[in-house]
Parts: sequence; structure tokens; C-alpha cells
Amino acid sequence: MSPSIPIPPPPSPKQMVLATEDWVEYRTGFPTLVRKFLFRKVPPTGWFHTLGSSLLTVFILQATTGALLAMTYDPSPNGAYESIRYITDQQTLGWLIRGMHKWGASMMVILLFLHMGRTFFYGAYKYPREMTWLTGSLIFISVMGMGLTGYLLVWDQRAYWASVVAVNINGTAPVLGPFISKFLLGGPVFGAQTISRFYALHMLLIPGAIGALIFVHMWLVVKLGVTPWPARPVPPDAPEPEYEPHSQTLIEEPLRVGQPATAEREREVQEVGD
Amino acid sequence: MADTPAGSHAHAYTAPQAPDSAVTRGQFLTLSSVGLGAMIGAVIGVPATAYLLAPVTKEVTFEPVSLGPVSRFTGETSFKPTAATYVEDPKNPNTSAGLAWVHYTGKQNPDWLASDAMFVVFSNRCMHLGCPVMASSVGFGCPCHGGQYDTRGVRIAGPPIRPLDRFQWKIANKELIITNRWSVDFVNGKLTYYPVKMPGQPVDINGDTTAANILYPDVSYTHGPVPKPQ
Repeated sequence: MSPSIPIPPPPSPKQMVLATEDWVEYRTGFPTLVRKFLFRKVPPTGWFHTLGSSLLTVFILQATTGALLAMTYDPSPNGAYESIRYITDQQTLGWLIRGMHKWGASMMVILLFLHMGRTFFYGAYKYPREMTWLTGSLIFISVMGMGLTGYLLVWDQRAYWASVVAVNINGTAPVLGPFISKFLLGGPVFGAQTISRFYALHMLLIPGAIGALIFVHMWLVVKLGVTPWPARPVPPDAPEPEYEPHSQTLIEEPLRVGQPATAEREREVQEVGD
Repeated sequence: MADTPAGSHAHAYTAPQAPDSAVTRGQFLTLSSVGLGAMIGAVIGVPATAYLLAPVTKEVTFEPVSLGPVSRFTGETSFKPTAATYVEDPKNPNTSAGLAWVHYTGKQNPDWLASDAMFVVFSNRCMHLGCPVMASSVGFGCPCHGGQYDTRGVRIAGPPIRPLDRFQWKIANKELIITNRWSVDFVNGKLTYYPVKMPGQPVDINGDTTAANILYPDVSYTHGPVPKPQ
């Protein structure tokens, strides 16, 4: 190495963090994506706007505790109740994990109704957010399906008879009813196939659908922005408003990824370096 | 390349032009990809759907099962039916355990369809939504939503939409054996049997079965000819 070339000073910790971020940014674009997602313009909000993220938190809680419970649970007529007893009475912190899953389930339904009520009373289902409302409705139906299928898995008398009643309620729908109840039961009568069917629906199919729907739902929330408080009264003789899909509550510039080295950040790095 | 004159370049080559009406190479490949994708989707999706929906077309056949010795049920004087448990499917004892209420009429005819038949064997499945009914001195009552039935199993109060199901029975080797399950209704006061339907589903509408069978087809049990009481 020629002695005429100066050896650069070692990078500062901040430079190292920024360089690491840039390394990921150039290859994935994720840091920009996360910044766009977290630091976006919102109108004045209140506690009512926290219900959606509360629901997401409870969903993550349910998914985590559910995966843990599935490691011990035995979805068979002879083993289900005993495995639940084992989880509750003997497994380390099993009572806590099962308790969180049980209370989280009720919490999710309560929060869902509150969230839906907030959306309704804010008029947040209107243009341009109709698709957000529709995907939310599908999530609502899926969560009801989780409640129905999860209730049976405890496999005590209450779980059994509540599920019998629920299946027979479905059976009272005209024309399709008898087929729907057989579809739910996995056959003409309540049997071993019913509990494994509900188990598969409860921990694979429906949660997968909810996860995908949450992704679409949140994509729309970020794209369209948070609904402002509908406070401004519209005079009766006001002209028909001209809507612009990209008003100021929306993301002002399209997502642009893979371009980390903005002039501002480069200056920042240089200043730190100097 | 052997035919290419020295000094000429690739860009001198002019591709033959397809006629305007023909499908271009790009369009062809797009259509092929879409078609192939649809085929792959069908190969996965059709069996998956059939697998998922298979139970919808499946029916079970009721297998005869003994309720115990006849002498167990003949002690009844006033209306006080005897509970008898049975297992419908021995492979699934936990989920197919059932309970029948055996009512001894005090008569001695072992023909189950006779008007002076020895027993009436009721299903304990409430015809509201399928909860288990309990026998009482006036008939039967359901704990779930308060449905009440008289001693014939006919609804007297609450939400059930038809009388309790009944079991076809016979006596063999001094044992009471249930051989089939039937839904029933009283049409103009006359006991009528129907193929089994699930709770909450009507077997007839004012005695007419056509509309009831279109709206609620019986799809649970395979069955032979419907019995006619004498």
C-alpha cells in the first residue's frame, strides 16, 4: 500500500448504523417502506383511532398463543379434553397462555364491534374507503368463524352442546341449510371428523384468510389515509364536492423504494464524518 | 453462419413480418401462460374442493342397537319414561353416544306400528336446535331454550317446530332393540312418519311435504320405505 494514500478515520457508530440501513435499503427497500408506513400524515386523531391497531395487537396475541397451544393440544374426541386439562393444570404457564387466548378471543370480538362502530359513526366507510369497509367486513365474518370453531375445541359439555346448537342454526337456512350443517360437521352426524375439521379451520384456514385480509385492509388504510373527524357541516346549497383521489390526507408521493441516498442524508453522513 | 457474407452484421437481418390478423409471439406466450396457470390451478383446486365438500353428499345408515333387556322398561306405571343410552357408531363412542326415552304404554303388542304397541321410544334430541330433552311428568322439557313437549312428544310450548323424533324398535331375545330413526308429525291428529331431518327443519308445512322437502331436503340418513302406522 502506498504511503501517499491517507487512511480514513474509522466510521462512527451512527455512520455504521446508517450504512447498514443503506445496505438493506439498496437490496430490499424495506427501510423506506417502514418509514412510509409509520411516519405518514394523519388528521387530528383520538383514542377511537387506536381501536384498529388494538385489534392487530390482539390478533398477534391470538396467533402467538394459539401456535403455542397447538403444540400440546390433541384434536381428537378422546384426547381433546385431557390435553386441555394438561395445558391448564400441569404445563408450565399453560394456564396463562390458555387464559390469554381465551380472554383475547372475547377481547377481539369486543374491539371489533367498537372498531366497526367507530368506522360507521365517522362515516369512514364512504368514498374512497369502500374497499377498506368491505375487507373489514370479511375480517369480521372470519373472526366470527374463529369464535364458532374455537368454542368447540375445549370439548367440554358446554362446548359440545353449543356447537350442536350452532350447527343446527345453520341447518335452518332454507335449501342450503341441511348441506351447510353437514359441511360443518364433516358428515351427517357429530363425530370425530367434526373436531378435527373445526381444528383445521380454526388454526389454518381462517387465520390464514384473516392474515391476508389484514394485509389488504392495512394497505388501504396507509394508501387512503385516516378518516378525519366528520365535523364540518355541509350547507344544503353547497355544490357537489369534487373529489380528488389524492387529497392531502393521502400519501402525497408514491412509494419509492431503493433510493436511500437522498442529498439530505448524504449531507448528514458527511457532517458526522467531518 | 457459414452462409453469412464477410463484413455483414446481425442487424442486417429482417425478421419475417407476421400478417396483421395473426397472433403475435408475445400474445401466444401470454395466452399459453394464462392457460397453463389455469390448468395448474384446476389440478390443485378441483380435488381440493371435492375433498372439502365430500361430506355434504354422504349419508349414514342407522345400525340397530340394543337398549337393554325389556324387563328394564316395563316397570313404568304413570308417564315416567326410562332413559336408555346407546352408542350409534361403535367406532366413535364419545361423539355418537345417544339417549332414548323409552315409554312403556302398559299394553303388550310387540309390533311397534300397532296402535296398542308396547313401547314408544322417543329420541331425546330437541327439535328446536338439538339439545337433549329431559322427561317430566307432563312430557319432556329442553334445558337450552325452554321447549316443552307433551307425553306424545308434541310441542306444547317454546320454540321447537315439530314433535320429538321416534325410534323404530323390535324385541329380540328379550332385548329392546332400536332399528331405525324417524321424524314424526301429527297431521290432523294422525301420527305420520317422515325421513329424519335435523332439528329446526320442518318435515311438512300444514301436512304438505312438497315445499318442506324442497326447502329442507332430508340428507342425513339413508332410509327405506317410510312406515305407515296402523
